[in-house]
Amino acid sequence: MSHRISRKDFSLVKRLRSGAGLPPADAACHSRQRIRDWFATAAPVIHWGAMDAPVGRIFVAASGQGLCALNFGVEEQEFVRRLDPRARLDSSPSAVAPITGQLKEYFARERFHFELPLDLSGLTPFQCSVLETLLRIPLGEVWTYRRLAGELGRPRSSRPVGQALAHNPIPIIIPCHRVIASDGNLGGYSGGFGIETKRWLLRFEGALPPASVPEGKGR
Amino acid sequence: MRFEQLIEQYHDEIFAYLWRLLGKASSRDGAADVEDLTQDVFLRAYQNFERLRAGSNHRAWLYKIATNCAYSRFRGTRNGRGRLLRLKDTAIDEALERSPSSAEAVAKSRLAQRVRNLTNSLPTKQKAALVLRYLQELDYAEIAAIMNCSEPSARANVYQALRCLRAALSEER
Repeated sequence: MSHRISRKDFSLVKRLRSGAGLPPADAACHSRQRIRDWFATAAPVIHWGAMDAPVGRIFVAASGQGLCALNFGVEEQEFVRRLDPRARLDSSPSAVAPITGQLKEYFARERFHFELPLDLSGLTPFQCSVLETLLRIPLGEVWTYRRLAGELGRPRSSRPVGQALAHNPIPIIIPCHRVIASDGNLGGYSGGFGIETKRWLLRFEGALPPASVPEGKGR
Repeated sequence: MRFEQLIEQYHDEIFAYLWRLLGKASSRDGAADVEDLTQDVFLRAYQNFERLRAGSNHRAWLYKIATNCAYSRFRGTRNGRGRLLRLKDTAIDEALERSPSSAEAVAKSRLAQRVRNLTNSLPTKQKAALVLRYLQELDYAEIAAIMNCSEPSARANVYQALRCLRAALSEER
């Protein structure tokens, strides 16, 4: 069956269009405002801000539960795009000042561990347990993927553990850079400039003597 | 795309779609009804936004939710089409009485009104397909996705709707 529109139907469509018109502008405006108001009360707020650091410009974001994202080596637009798309965003340096303040102290060698509430709600329970275990690695030390898996009670799960590290939304503060391969290879790192940033952080923390670890690239 | 952008970018279009699909009168009551339904659409969209895959067609997705919300409303309204039809007739007659214009303009207006009323009386699927194609100007692939049907079926619904309208209008002459 052919469903082509005839010339007669075109005139019918024209009438349909002229008859349909548009809803009154004030009605549409009222409805739009009503939905904006609902969104303003229903959607969670994420405050975000940025700071300059030796590893480049660092972006941080915090929900009502705590720090939910940290990223560097990305453009502002990309950082914002990755935040929970259902949340309302608020660019507010003062709201994230406790976070950027502690980071500044860390880079000034005045802070050795962070005291910040974290929001890991977007992760699976396994990813959370991996990242929470990472917080036990003291500054200046490194663990292997195998040891981390062992600490989690899953000694044969080095690979899933490595994958969980790749999903770390809060690098530096959750120190995934302190995990390396058993053979001394640095493994992988997706923050900043990748493996070079990982090497820089480990040297900065004193965990990596400049020439003692091979500079091979890992995952 | 962020949900906030979704509201700003598509609210007016979805509101107009529901307005046309429900065949609402230009009265405050009619607007309130469409407003409620539009809010339902965005609430459902918000609840399911996380499950939407990256790169999805957000516009077609919203239309799909809007169409389903409208279907539910149609189902929940006993003799809904007849009631809406009467509302619309009354509103236009009142409007014409308020600002009488030339006989030709009135005739045109009445014809447009007649087409609109006939559109309101179409089966729900045909009406939705017709409104999506010619008033919201979506392509058939999008209409098929919105209506959960094949592209030929979407075309067939539009064709049937036009045929019904044409037949009804020629009967009146």
